Amino acid sequence: MFKDLYKHRELLLILVQRNIKIRYKNSALGFFWTLLGPIFLICIYAIFLHLMRFNINLPSLVTGIITWQFFAMCMGDSLHAIMGNASLVTKASFPRIILPSAMVLANTVNFLLSILVLLIYLLIVKTCFGVMILLPLIIMTQFALCLGLALIVSSMNVFFRDTEHVLSTIMLAWFFLTPVIYGIGDVMPRATELLGPSAYYLFFANPMTGILTAYRSVFLSEGFPGIHLIALSFGVSWIICLIGVVVFQKVQVRFGDEL
Amino acid sequence: MPDNVIMVDNIGKKFRLRTSGTRTIKSAILDTVCFRGRETRDFWALRNVSFSVRRGETLGIIGINGAGKSTLLSLIAGTKMSTEGKIQTQGTISCLLELGAGFHPDLTGRENVYLAGAIMGLSQAQMKERMDAIIEFAELQEFIDQPVKHYSSGMYVRLGFAVAVEVNPDILLIDEVLAVGDSAFQRKCIQRMDEFRQKKKTMLIISHDMRTIQSISDRILFLNDGTVFGIGDPEKMVESYESLSRRLSTKAIRREWGTGEVKITGAEFFNKNGKITDKFNWNEPLEARVSYETPARIETPVFGFAISDVNGRIIYGNNTQIENFNIPTIEGKGTISLYLDNIQMAKGTYLFSFSVHSSDHKTNYHRLDNCFPIVVEESDKPFEGYCYMACRWKK
Repeated sequence: MFKDLYKHRELLLILVQRNIKIRYKNSALGFFWTLLGPIFLICIYAIFLHLMRFNINLPSLVTGIITWQFFAMCMGDSLHAIMGNASLVTKASFPRIILPSAMVLANTVNFLLSILVLLIYLLIVKTCFGVMILLPLIIMTQFALCLGLALIVSSMNVFFRDTEHVLSTIMLAWFFLTPVIYGIGDVMPRATELLGPSAYYLFFANPMTGILTAYRSVFLSEGFPGIHLIALSFGVSWIICLIGVVVFQKVQVRFGDEL
Repeated sequence: MPDNVIMVDNIGKKFRLRTSGTRTIKSAILDTVCFRGRETRDFWALRNVSFSVRRGETLGIIGINGAGKSTLLSLIAGTKMSTEGKIQTQGTISCLLELGAGFHPDLTGRENVYLAGAIMGLSQAQMKERMDAIIEFAELQEFIDQPVKHYSSGMYVRLGFAVAVEVNPDILLIDEVLAVGDSAFQRKCIQRMDEFRQKKKTMLIISHDMRTIQSISDRILFLNDGTVFGIGDPEKMVESYESLSRRLSTKAIRREWGTGEVKITGAEFFNKNGKITDKFNWNEPLEARVSYETPARIETPVFGFAISDVNGRIIYGNNTQIENFNIPTIEGKGTISLYLDNIQMAKGTYLFSFSVHSSDHKTNYHRLDNCFPIVVEESDKPFEGYCYMACRWKK
């Protein structure tokens, strides 16, 4: 598979460029449109949480929303990664895995730009950074998670027409199960009361929890409950990536018939 | 270097047709939980197809709609997987299953060319070298940097063809490309395909344009109902395709009835050389050999025939009784021949009907109306109507 991807690296590159170009084409503001979404979300949640008399830590919320946005965008785009390129899939033979890969890579480029903006913001509000050297590892892990799920979702959408609706429901639940707009400290005391000490493991079995916690530790030097929990999340991410690749390679031969 | 660049070995392609609606996650879960099976119907688009194509050969593929031509090309291109059998190909394949199908409407022509090139495995640098030739062939000098959504359909197709040819693949697959574009562009395409042939490249072409495909192909593969009906000499294949499509196109006005005491089991036409055909020329003789079968002994049967136009209007009809040809009895299998000494009919397709009935016309044993088409090719006299009658003028 990696040989395939390497052999078709030109195609991968062009598709990544195409994805980025199409997103920014016909819009003068270009990249800033994609920032506008998270900024709105941040404003809405900040105001809402403030009204509800929650303690809000704005840098933590901003970090959470921006990284979640990368994940959510990948999931949303993955619906169209194969279906939106139906004419390519039925016309030419090339490793199909390139299509979702290019989509996730394009979103990664977008995310890296968002991280630059985030860093500028964090410099302005003068937070103290953690071990920045770990940032590439975290980004790679999130990339692996996004790719694995994108492979699964994009191929499911070929076979099942209601994938979109199922996905949007799952994503909404996932959003609230992940400490995006709240901190782990806000929920864990109550959760352990209900479920015992295994609550931590359950919480971090959600790969996005560990990834978000890791980002916050790196950007904001926020503390976290244990390195083994982060390792659990990262492990789940890479396993999902592996499953995604295996499933995708197995079903992709049938794309031509279904489209 | 082995000679066969494409080897198709006994392939079959099965499609599963779902009879009830589209598949959803919901229905999939419900089906599993309730153990209810889905109603599906298997459909073999191709079955037991074997052939091979030599390097540098141009193979035309013909067949009526739904014969499996496009499925065959997509199996060779690798966009669909065969259910059984094996396909081996050598070299890069460029395929025009649909011209410009991979183009993205929001990207410019140039960007789409790079994309199409990359799909066929060419680097941007390689595509840059070919860009001028592509633009020139597609005649898109002013428009190449416009998004392709602003292109006319002709421009779209020109660009698609230019890319597919310029990437210089070893094998070119073309599906019904000649049907689009104006005649000037079609000529250009055919010229380019000729150059392609001279370069010893292999081509597979699907077309319904019999004249073009006959002139450009080395061999023709005739598919019918997902199986190989014939492969070989272009002229012969086109002829048998045309006779099949004549039989199919007249299906609507075919009728068959009768008591079945005598059964007409078939009819064959022979030309002046005694060869089976359904093509005749002006003033040529025709022999129609009708085979029949009867379980019991039948006394004094009458055989008749009629010639109709393609809409089923009778032009001429006659029978053994009128011509005083008496048949005392028939029993078992046999044939009876009808001779028309010179066909003096206008150019066109005609349908033969054959019948057998009792001498008192009260019992129709068997009638096959408009079942046997023939075609009259050339006519010396451009007279009006269907049938010529010898005539003289005097002043």
